Amino acid sequence: MAKKLMKGCEAIGEAAIQAGCRLFFGYPITPQNEIPEYMSARLPQVGGTFVQAESEVAAINMLYGAAGAGCRAFTSSSSPGISLMMEGISYIAGAELPVVLVNIMRGGPGLGGILPSQSDYFQATKGGGHGDYRLLVLAPSTVQEAADLMIDAFDMADQYRNPVMILGDGLIGQMMEPVEFKRGIKPEDLPHKSWATTGAKGRKPNIINSLHLNPEELERHNWDLYKKYQQMQKEVRHDTYNTGENVDVLIVAYGTVARIARTAIDSLTPKGHKVGLFRPITLYPFPSEALIAAAQKAKKVLVAELSTGQMVEDVRSHIAHLRPVDFYGRAGGMVMGAEELADRVEKLIAG
Amino acid sequence: MPKPIIEKDRCKGCELCISACPEKVLALSQEINAKGYFFPVIVQPDACTGCRYCLIMCPDTAIQVENKGKTTARSVALTQKPFSYCPGCTHGVIHRLVAEAIEGLGVQDRTVGIAPVGCSVLAYEFFACDMQQASHGRAMAVATGIKRGRPDLTVFTYQGDGDLASIGMAETVHAANRGEKITVIFVNNAIYGMTGGQMAPTTLPGQVASTCPTGRDVKLAGYPIRVVELLKELKTPAYLTRVSVHDPKAILAAKKSIRKAFEYQLKGTCFSLVEVLSTCPTNWGQTPKEACDWLKDNMIPYYPIREFKIPEAEEGDAHVQ
Repeated sequence: MAKKLMKGCEAIGEAAIQAGCRLFFGYPITPQNEIPEYMSARLPQVGGTFVQAESEVAAINMLYGAAGAGCRAFTSSSSPGISLMMEGISYIAGAELPVVLVNIMRGGPGLGGILPSQSDYFQATKGGGHGDYRLLVLAPSTVQEAADLMIDAFDMADQYRNPVMILGDGLIGQMMEPVEFKRGIKPEDLPHKSWATTGAKGRKPNIINSLHLNPEELERHNWDLYKKYQQMQKEVRHDTYNTGENVDVLIVAYGTVARIARTAIDSLTPKGHKVGLFRPITLYPFPSEALIAAAQKAKKVLVAELSTGQMVEDVRSHIAHLRPVDFYGRAGGMVMGAEELADRVEKLIAG
Repeated sequence: MPKPIIEKDRCKGCELCISACPEKVLALSQEINAKGYFFPVIVQPDACTGCRYCLIMCPDTAIQVENKGKTTARSVALTQKPFSYCPGCTHGVIHRLVAEAIEGLGVQDRTVGIAPVGCSVLAYEFFACDMQQASHGRAMAVATGIKRGRPDLTVFTYQGDGDLASIGMAETVHAANRGEKITVIFVNNAIYGMTGGQMAPTTLPGQVASTCPTGRDVKLAGYPIRVVELLKELKTPAYLTRVSVHDPKAILAAKKSIRKAFEYQLKGTCFSLVEVLSTCPTNWGQTPKEACDWLKDNMIPYYPIREFKIPEAEEGDAHVQ
């Protein structure tokens, strides 16, 4: 398929189609409305169904029903809407249903604002809703990567029977870049889900459920989930830039901020500064081993985020004993510029 | 000679069969069953006419009736598991009616039911079809997801008054308004059962509940919500009806309505909702028989039992316009 210039949100929607998804349930919220708009036009063309739900609460539960019936389905929202979905996400994790969630983050807390942010890292990677569960969280940095990860997300969700979240920000959702859809999956070619509620013809009834009143059974379920999350560790992905040799500063950033960091690095290199970038692509599972290896080749580490400091806690938990970890953040929809970040790196080098 | 066949260890001693029998065939045993309940025994075998009122009224499917060489059978759309409801709770009657509709229409192997949060949360253990358990109030959203994903399936929700008319009211109104081709069984017993008897959106004016200990004050809590009356104002065609299960005749009528509601779904006609007035002897603080009488005397005057909307009439209206 030839490359096409697309908005991030539209590329995410088309990627879902290419992944064989034929169902979308969602509720409008800025800055991700292009996703439901795209799906509302595109799904009927391929025999799919778009439902504009009455709320995010309803949307996530429609997703629960569809996924429980063995269908590939996804929803998208932005920060306050994702908060509304949290109960449903917990049920989906508890009932082990494969769904794909897209969060195009905006500034919070509360109604916050509509401009880009990365302040839902905690919510995405630490569970978010009630109970002991995890999502697989993927953070794209380009429109192409958003499309690629979206297709992978459906496969991962099916493989682990677990919700997978694409965690982007308003910039990735709104920017236009060339995209190529590298693989297309037909819904009829997707593997059969023997556990799904498709009608109990010739078999015992299937039950989709997260209720376990017996505490011994529930504890067992929790540890089974834990084991699954441990298995998910092998999905860990990261990217690096300019880390071939020892560096003065290693910037750790994900999503859009990683792009800003690359520009900052490019401006620092001619000045003789050795600066590298470590970019987690999976935020959960966190690429801790690769980060440790990269940090060992750096004198100092700087975490840059569009928040007052969330991922930095994970970075520190892995490498604080090895290297000093500094933090630079902008919040509330304010986005750091490359020069601003480069200044911060230079100050850190000057020390 | 017709006769009731009592599966005594399924019985919870509610005595509804005894009071339902017009010929006084049954009386309570002197001994207890495996669960520790007194159960009905036949004391006047010759008086039985085979009317089946005992079977119809039994909330635990503990009675079958033998007549002219044939014996009734428990619906195969129910699992063998005994219901976990309190003695005399009419949830069990409604479960039976839903199962008989599913079996009667021959759709058991392509039905998915949605269990709610509340007393009937364990419904997935009682219906012998595929089941999903939904979060509180969201059964119709879950049903929407299933039905839109697999329109060939028959999808029903089974929800109580707190679930459907309080926390899930938005899902209720919007599923009905979208005209989702699903069947909703709405069990209205005017109280929160599972959590211990708190005020429901359908608790009657003056009715005592644990969060309105002096009775529902309509100045503070408003009037109880009449769900089918509310939904019938939506323009989208629907089948909306209210039935009751307080006596055998009402149960027979309820059975017809529940079957009809599924038929509308199978024909792809419309959204269908059957509100079933039901009892909660435990939280009402009454015997099962008193609860049935209280329902009749107090709930039916406020919640009239009749069809409120049929899709055919709606189509007729459109023609006139």
